[in-house]
Amino acid sequence: MNKNYNSKLAIFIFAFPTLILFTAFVVYPIIPELIISFQNNDGFKNMGYIGLDNYRSILMSATFWKSNANTILIVAISTCVGLPISLLLALLMDRQTEGVRRFFKLSSVFPAVLSVTVIGQMWIAIYEPQWGVINSVLRSIGLNNLALEWLSDKRTVVIAIAVAFLWQYIGLNALLFYTGIKSIPKTYYEAATIDGASFLKTSIKITIPLLQDVTKYLLVLSVLGCMSQFAHVRIMTAGGPGDASRTVIYELYYRAFSASDYGQGCAIAIIFIIECLLFTLIINKFVAREKVEF
Amino acid sequence: MKQKVINRIIKITLIIIGLTFLFPLYWMVNLSFKSKSEVYDNPFGLPKEWVFNNYGDALEKFNFLRYLSNSVIYSIGTIIITILLGSMFAYCVSRMNWRFKNTALTYVSLGLIIPVQVVIIPLLIMVKNIGLKDTHLGLILPYSAFALSSCILMLYAFFRTLPRELEEAACIDGCNIYQTFFKVILPTIKPALATQFALIFMNTYNEFFLAFILAADDSIRPLPVGLLNFFVSIGVSHWGQIGAAMVITSIPTVLVYLVGNEQIENALTAGAILK
Repeated sequence: MNKNYNSKLAIFIFAFPTLILFTAFVVYPIIPELIISFQNNDGFKNMGYIGLDNYRSILMSATFWKSNANTILIVAISTCVGLPISLLLALLMDRQTEGVRRFFKLSSVFPAVLSVTVIGQMWIAIYEPQWGVINSVLRSIGLNNLALEWLSDKRTVVIAIAVAFLWQYIGLNALLFYTGIKSIPKTYYEAATIDGASFLKTSIKITIPLLQDVTKYLLVLSVLGCMSQFAHVRIMTAGGPGDASRTVIYELYYRAFSASDYGQGCAIAIIFIIECLLFTLIINKFVAREKVEF
Repeated sequence: MKQKVINRIIKITLIIIGLTFLFPLYWMVNLSFKSKSEVYDNPFGLPKEWVFNNYGDALEKFNFLRYLSNSVIYSIGTIIITILLGSMFAYCVSRMNWRFKNTALTYVSLGLIIPVQVVIIPLLIMVKNIGLKDTHLGLILPYSAFALSSCILMLYAFFRTLPRELEEAACIDGCNIYQTFFKVILPTIKPALATQFALIFMNTYNEFFLAFILAADDSIRPLPVGLLNFFVSIGVSHWGQIGAAMVITSIPTVLVYLVGNEQIENALTAGAILK
């Protein structure tokens, strides 16, 4: 048997195709990206190396910092507002009968399986200033002056997009938390039940601490997912009004493909990779340092 | 008694929240049957006058069948390549004896922290250079490469829990390693493969960013990008047609989800309990 499992040829045939495909499309592109980021490149040809000029003009541009602020706002809303709501929904779901749970699971994942284009367009309708859901509700309770043009108002546009994004994944995240809750052995709750501990107490003292692996997984997923946010912005506002709702990736897209400056686009990508690594490191350092074993 | 009341309240709250997730489905069907002007007067109620030709009008400008077939080609192509290569690699790392297997596994898991968005510019240049621009393969290969990491890690976790007796028996029966893998192992891990199938399908079928940039030619656009172009071309005035296009686009997803919702839920939550 070992002869089979030591065969160099077999190992090559099993592992090599993956390594080639993965290297070619995921890892290798970072090299030309670095090189182009030092070039004056319009997408057709390299017009000379210009050192750190691309980085300099990116870091000096107000739109780039604005796009960073927008991205961080979306990340903050999704993680600080979205994840706690998902966790709460999961805890509540755990205490319900199978029928309610079945219905809630089925409906809450729907937004996440529908196409992002459909969801984005749906939210354009929800935010529609004249007959959209939000303004209709606001007007019907007499708050006429709160009925804004959500997607064409510079003050609200990023939050409006973040809410649409949050809504799309809140149910799926609740389901992920719930899967984590289910995998906690019942023995952990026996003592608590005998002591007559309340729902709130068991949740805070037992369930939430034991969920730290799932929490960490969701944090990384949600932070990285929000950081690379592009689709909702493209569909709902195309970065507008003006450049008010651009995220970092939208800014990358805009510089590279609308302004035809691949050099600056690549420089943004390199800065963005560093930002992603930083966030991942921070999460890994501060959340779930000990592994939970059941 | 008090407990009962609280439970009742929680139950109703959950049902209401659940319904808000379904509301857009109702609303888009509702809009799709309204005339251009009725949307403004009566946005939420049932249509006073049912307009059916929104669907016909939308389909005239929105090449649904072409986009759908493109989406299916991308999904199936990505599923085949990813599952075949991913399962072979995961098996090789978990069972075969070679020096760099742990390094290789760590290397491949890098894919989890490199978002596809950051390499889009070099990716576009590469796809152009190797002549795959405006072909289906030009999207399937990057999709597969980026889907491999999570597929491999999940299958690797699965292989480690799989007892070796099966392989020993196959070996005694005289199977070589390829026969063992394709005839004995793959059929045994069918549940894990089904989960991967559902997960990769959902991710690829709904992928927006790569398709938006790499599939510039209308003939190879998948549904999410084709639908956006339809919206842009029609403007924001004719919500009846917009609603109709949304309903048509969502029907396949809704059907797939209703049939395979447990499979899809398992797939989407598989990462949460991955150790």
